[in-house]
Amino acid sequence: MISQSKERNSERRKSLSRPAPGPFQYLVLGLLAVVFVYPIWWAVSSSLKPPAEIVRDPLSFSPGAATLDNYRAMFDDVPIGTGFLNTVLVVAVKGAMTMFFCPLAGYAFAKYRFPGKNLLFGVLMLTLMLPTLVLIIPLLLEMSQLGWVNTYQALILPGSIDAFSIFWMRQTIAAVPDELLDAGRVDGASEFGIFARIVVPVIRPGIAALGVLTAMNIYNDFVWPVVAVNDESHQTLQVVLSTLAQNVTGNRVGADFATVWGELLAAGSIAMLPVLVLFVLLQRHFINGILAGSVKG
Amino acid sequence: MSRPSVPRRSVLRGALGAGALAVASGPLAACAPGSSGSEPRKLTSTPSASAKGEITIWNRSGDLFKVFDAAIDAFRKAYPDVKVNHQAVDIDAKLANTLISGTDLPDGSFWDDAKIGGQVEHLYDLTDLIAPYRNRTSAYKLSVNTVDGRIYGVPWDLDPGLLWYREDLLEDAGVDPAGLKTYDDLLSAARSLKEKNPAAGPIHMEKDPFLGQLWLEMLAGQQGTSLADEHGKVRLDSKEYRTTLNWIRDAVDEGLVTHAEYLKQADLAALENGQQALVPWAVWWSFAPQQLLKKTKGKWRAAPLPAWTPGGARSGAMGGSSFIIPAKAKNPELAWLLYEFLCFKEPGYSAVYGPSEVYPGGLTTSVPSYAPARRADRPLFEPVAALGGQDLWKVAVDAADAIPPAAPIPAWWNKSVDYLGNNLQRLMEGKMAPDDVIDDSTKKIQRNLVDRA
Amino acid sequence: MTPTTLTPARRERAAPAPPRPARSRRRPFLTPYLFVAPFYVVFAAFGLYPLVFALQLSFTDWKGAGEAHFIGLENYTYLLTSEEFWSSLGNSAVMWLLIVPVQIVGGLAAAVLLANARLRLRGMFRVAFIAPFVTPLVAMAQVWIVAFDTDYGLVNHLLGLVGLPGVDWLQSTAWAKPTLALLFLWKTTGFAVIILLAGLQAVPADVYEAASLDGASRKRQFWSLTLPLMRRSIAFLVVVQTLAVFQMFAEPHVVTQGGPYGSTTTGGLYLYNHITTSDLGTGAANSFLLVLLVFALSLLSVRLLRSRDE
Repeated sequence: MISQSKERNSERRKSLSRPAPGPFQYLVLGLLAVVFVYPIWWAVSSSLKPPAEIVRDPLSFSPGAATLDNYRAMFDDVPIGTGFLNTVLVVAVKGAMTMFFCPLAGYAFAKYRFPGKNLLFGVLMLTLMLPTLVLIIPLLLEMSQLGWVNTYQALILPGSIDAFSIFWMRQTIAAVPDELLDAGRVDGASEFGIFARIVVPVIRPGIAALGVLTAMNIYNDFVWPVVAVNDESHQTLQVVLSTLAQNVTGNRVGADFATVWGELLAAGSIAMLPVLVLFVLLQRHFINGILAGSVKG
Repeated sequence: MSRPSVPRRSVLRGALGAGALAVASGPLAACAPGSSGSEPRKLTSTPSASAKGEITIWNRSGDLFKVFDAAIDAFRKAYPDVKVNHQAVDIDAKLANTLISGTDLPDGSFWDDAKIGGQVEHLYDLTDLIAPYRNRTSAYKLSVNTVDGRIYGVPWDLDPGLLWYREDLLEDAGVDPAGLKTYDDLLSAARSLKEKNPAAGPIHMEKDPFLGQLWLEMLAGQQGTSLADEHGKVRLDSKEYRTTLNWIRDAVDEGLVTHAEYLKQADLAALENGQQALVPWAVWWSFAPQQLLKKTKGKWRAAPLPAWTPGGARSGAMGGSSFIIPAKAKNPELAWLLYEFLCFKEPGYSAVYGPSEVYPGGLTTSVPSYAPARRADRPLFEPVAALGGQDLWKVAVDAADAIPPAAPIPAWWNKSVDYLGNNLQRLMEGKMAPDDVIDDSTKKIQRNLVDRA
Repeated sequence: MTPTTLTPARRERAAPAPPRPARSRRRPFLTPYLFVAPFYVVFAAFGLYPLVFALQLSFTDWKGAGEAHFIGLENYTYLLTSEEFWSSLGNSAVMWLLIVPVQIVGGLAAAVLLANARLRLRGMFRVAFIAPFVTPLVAMAQVWIVAFDTDYGLVNHLLGLVGLPGVDWLQSTAWAKPTLALLFLWKTTGFAVIILLAGLQAVPADVYEAASLDGASRKRQFWSLTLPLMRRSIAFLVVVQTLAVFQMFAEPHVVTQGGPYGSTTTGGLYLYNHITTSDLGTGAANSFLLVLLVFALSLLSVRLLRSRDE
């Protein structure tokens, strides 16, 4: 809260020297906003149209003629419900791990001095540079050695405590005044108690933002789940989604592409919905959290 | 039966699976599963009719699954003590992985012929079991499932190439379909059609690189050759391929073709408006007039493909699938029992190809590999109204008999589309000469695929 | 009530001990190590171990089954002499050019507009820009396939409405890259805007006040004050997006499968293709070459952005 109110103040002062935006600026922003939002609206509204209509006139949409046929067909075709449940499980467990361990490590890096800290932090930063793709092959091999192919732990453990979140939390926690911590210490709180009862409440907006970002990243993750799991019962939503195109076009004799499109759009819309709702509900925390936490270091 | 609509994506997806597959077992892993001996596991003992047990069988999802489901019901009646778990699975993405990791294996699965040759170390050697049916099974199908003299797949569908044509347009142009005996005849027919309608590009040329290459293999297969010989050596640099590619170039140069993607919008439009009238393609094209070509339904007919030399083979195969039994299957004998029933026993194959709930007239997109199942006088599916009531069965089974044997399809076949398939497209666009297609593709396939296999 | 208000009272209660200097707190020695340990444990198990494994693999001919043979640098030399390897990097470089400059310039413009507190509907604009960032990539990639279809897509339909001919977006070598770049831009520009906005707001207000007292025009303020002070945010973005563009995988994988004629086979997709052919040794070697390149590019962009200012 502290950093936020500070930020808001300076913002207000800064803008005093600026004129209010003119109609041209509104026009530019408005057009941009349309470009950014329209594809989402188009996908969702088209998914509610009869397939033939998607093809005949991509622009039309009459709510009266809305139909759930595409959704029905899609549910018949792919186990999207299973995919959704798997995703929920992975998001919950993996997300909880991130949300617990990353602020804790960020706290240690922000507020403690200990031998080897710079080295450890350097390693952490270096791992940020590592492209995910590098690890895909050997990680998969490791999973098979462990007998973890087609298991939830394979989906959950790798990457469950990530360097970026720790770095971000360190930036956020660095802004918490030392005096606060000292007070807790003098009061006899344990080291973990200080973290849990003093640091966490202060950086709550940052943690909320981390939560949204983490949930979103895990929800949207594709590359790892697609290789780690090949059995339908463990597939996440994104993987189910990506095989949809194959399933619907590949094997149905006589399926015309309008039907296929309808199902693709329905699947895409249904996958988008949860994250979009979460985002709209928490957008203030999310954006402010990033604003407060990013690039201060 | 192979995928009648847009299979490129599925094939790529399959490749993805095949890759992930590889990764699933450790080389450096202490225990390489089941690879103690290099001897293929042989399946010989056949259970009696009183067989008992439970098997898991994989098939592709979609309508085909429903068809097989009905056929498996027939099996259940014949063998009441065998419990069959019939599962719809994204086989291209999963089977290869599962074979290597060895966990949750099915007892048997449907698979593309193109995939089998590369995975034989994970499959049961079925040679002895198939032996009684061998001389009555399509030589082509046996050849693609045979590696080092051993058979690894129970040959399922056979997909002969046919010449699909517009009867009305040919008649208008004074072309007798029965006279289309060689590919030169086909060019003359195209010229006649073009005289009648200058806007026409009568012959279909495939624009999708994957399907284009599959199509080229059909034309080459007619001449008894294929991309790789039985030792996996590239044999593109041959008289047969040169003849084929030159023919394609001539047709393109003369403006006798429509270059479009298989049954995509542009293709459908050109088929409906009379621009295209000659489509040399596999039997599974039959679903186009039945389901997609609303305006010209009833005007299409099928004939044998022209031959490359007078008296030469009048068909080649384009795609196809078989059934495999994983080497680590729990109940391989029972899986064989099922596949024997489906492929070689009358109640089995007629349940698949005959009229069903999904396909009231029968399944017209392929024919069985087993000769007794494809007798011209014993049609399994009915004459097709969308082909003016033509007896497609007869045309297709005659063509199927003509398909020459080939060689197992190399594991890198899909990947070679990046070279041969793409170069073929350049040829069709007039940007590459036939000799360059051969040289460049051979060189790149050798360097990037064969040498690294 | 924030904890701050409690501080003095509590301190007094604990008064007998002389107040310690902040930096020499007596704390259990192990505590910070315990706090950071989970990361290193997970990293060692699922990062370092596979990394070493991959390095080992990159010197072998292992195909995913059978025995692995040591073949020295052969995988590396194969790649470095391979037309396809270089063209995958070339494709990524073109993508980079289509994406990063556009995103930085456009993102800055949008951020400057959004930073103005007198802007009405500010929250709404922010939400609109960042909404694409939270949508699942796979879902949107599929929407792209439909929207950019040559015959029936939304985009060609719109072009038709204003009398323009349709474009073969995903089937022509000329347009496939821009179409994918557009997907990437659409999806990630909101993120860039937020990062830049954060950078803008971190510029102390006094700097501007001093400048306006000096009579500097707002345009000059932007060029001589805002931009230099933003170089950290810009450098951060350039690095992050360079990493992302060169590793780009899901977009071409879902939308074009790398075609037409390999024109959208990016560095990331090419690397992935080795997995699909079970050519794992080459894949591992390719990974390390890609890491080196991305690392060098990141350092270079940081260096460039710094030297301009100093």
